[in-house]
Amino acid sequence: MHDTSDRALKADLIEIAAHRTKQGILSRRGFLTALGALGILPILDGKALAAKEIVVVNWGGRASEVLQEVLGDTYKAATGIDVVIDGSGPSAGKIRAMVESGAVVWDICDSGAGSAIILTQAGMIEPINYDIVDKSKVLEDAIYSHGVGNYTYSYVLASNPKLLGGNTPKNWVDVWNVKDFPGMRTFRKSVRGMLESATMAQGVAPGDVYEVLGTQDGINAAIDKFRQLRDNIIVWGSGSESQNLFLQEEVAIGNIWSTRAFVLKDDMPEGSFDVTFEGGVIAPGIWVVPKGNPAGADEAMKFIAHGQDPKLQVKWLEMIGSGPISPEAAPLVPEELKKWNPSDPENLAKQIFYNDVWYGANQTAAEELYVDALIN
Amino acid sequence: MISRRSHLTYWMLIAPALFVMVVFYIWPLLNIFLISVNEPATGFDNYIRAAESSAVRTSFVITFRVAVETTLFCVVLGYIVAYGVTHAAPGIRPLMLALVLLPFWVSVLIRSFSWIVLLGRSGVVNDTLKDIGLISSPLRLMHNELGVIIAMVHVMLPFAVLPMLANMRGIDRSYVDAARGLGASEWTAFWQVYVPQTKPGIFSATLLVFVLSLGFFITPALLGGGRVLMISQYITYQIQEFLNWGLGSALSVVLLIATALVLVGAARFVNLKATLLERSK
Repeated sequence: MHDTSDRALKADLIEIAAHRTKQGILSRRGFLTALGALGILPILDGKALAAKEIVVVNWGGRASEVLQEVLGDTYKAATGIDVVIDGSGPSAGKIRAMVESGAVVWDICDSGAGSAIILTQAGMIEPINYDIVDKSKVLEDAIYSHGVGNYTYSYVLASNPKLLGGNTPKNWVDVWNVKDFPGMRTFRKSVRGMLESATMAQGVAPGDVYEVLGTQDGINAAIDKFRQLRDNIIVWGSGSESQNLFLQEEVAIGNIWSTRAFVLKDDMPEGSFDVTFEGGVIAPGIWVVPKGNPAGADEAMKFIAHGQDPKLQVKWLEMIGSGPISPEAAPLVPEELKKWNPSDPENLAKQIFYNDVWYGANQTAAEELYVDALIN
Repeated sequence: MISRRSHLTYWMLIAPALFVMVVFYIWPLLNIFLISVNEPATGFDNYIRAAESSAVRTSFVITFRVAVETTLFCVVLGYIVAYGVTHAAPGIRPLMLALVLLPFWVSVLIRSFSWIVLLGRSGVVNDTLKDIGLISSPLRLMHNELGVIIAMVHVMLPFAVLPMLANMRGIDRSYVDAARGLGASEWTAFWQVYVPQTKPGIFSATLLVFVLSLGFFITPALLGGGRVLMISQYITYQIQEFLNWGLGSALSVVLLIATALVLVGAARFVNLKATLLERSK
């Protein structure tokens, strides 16, 4: 039978109920009664039956449609198991609330390395079973004990050669060279992927970036670079904002997500958009499985393994610009798209991996300095 | 003298409004204050952090500067509009009034987006100026403070026009006529006789626009390019990006107190009660 229940709503209700249980307003028994009254409980005991469906959660929008088509429909065809995509955003907080309340309705979540580390320490997610999931089909830096890479995206140097008189900045040093490359630049409202570029702009080799940023002097130096450039900076808050800034020719240069650059290459007029992965920062999306997921951990692992098929990952790239996580996928990418693939071997060699450990230790303090440098 | 009975009637009349205020305004406000001293730990740590942060200080300076600039432009432009409407031919007055009120019915979001279309690098204004040969490369009209001020003046203008209009409509023309009859020049009659009578309108317009501008969010967020960071944006940033409810709430409380201080300061120079409650007199 087809389940037409509103999962986003139910997940939200569960979240609220779980929060109240934690505060002690609702007893655990009261919590279960509340779930029963909401009609949520019956869908929770999927574990007792053989898995009939798998709930995969990501962040909504077009990515949800692509996930359904690329992984969901093909999995259904291969196994007969329904795949339900839920785009309600599996933040670490939500996963935690769900597991702690014992009312898990999600099987597989599209998370990040930072969240995966926190959730592992808190004991909220299942270990990845590498007997089912193939380690060799994942970039080495995206393998964790309790999480495994699903796709990649990068922070890249994008530019509009038309606005720069045919010139294109080749690296971050060029981006900070306002004399030869006049015009506005856009950087993210957060330090994520940004401090790295400011560090490379000082001539630091990509491989040494996080070592330099490991000291307060290194952070201050990067912040100072933004202070110098700030009269030429417009800040982007969301991915769509960065896209609009290029479309409306408000900026000539930017440090934006490769997935947005992938869309812009088709939307911008010929010869007015270019991207280099030189000095880019590549980050993987990470699959995690909430502890006690309804379909069972093994079923979730089988789905993850299904998504490791290089052909499917190439399709994913073609549709939405997410880079394949499997090293085997790169050669299958059509020639004209190779330039735009974050995990293409040629591009990979120019980039560094996003360092979640550094962000865990330094982000909050750095954000404050970053805002100050931009406005003060 | 008012009897006890009618006292009771008056209280019952304001009870619903009072109830709404307490439940939907006073109570949440108290909660904001409680969050600011309880998260993440009990004490005034959030306030100390805010006072020590140079970003917070700058954001407050930007907020007050933008509010002052907006108020200045709004009051000057609004005065001219209000004067024009008051002294226009009676037949055309309703139309002029409608034009002042019309923007009220369009959401601030849409009005701000319209300014993006107008002020952009390849927007209407820049393209027109380029086409008629006045400029060779586009001017930077937005993603800076200029853009924020332009759009905010537009959004706030009705708030300046309406109190001054109410004030001016209550002014008897015969005072100016009398001054003219006694030999005053047109300018003297306006400056020494008319303008003093419009002071209550000017004051209430100033206060209204200034206080509203202090908490403005959408317009600076859209047209400021991220660098005209007003305090309301900073609060959103703390809460949405970092889930830092404590600091966000503390900053809200500080903004509230700062606004109250402005009103108290204003009260030293003007009669607030007369300005805000009896402006049409």
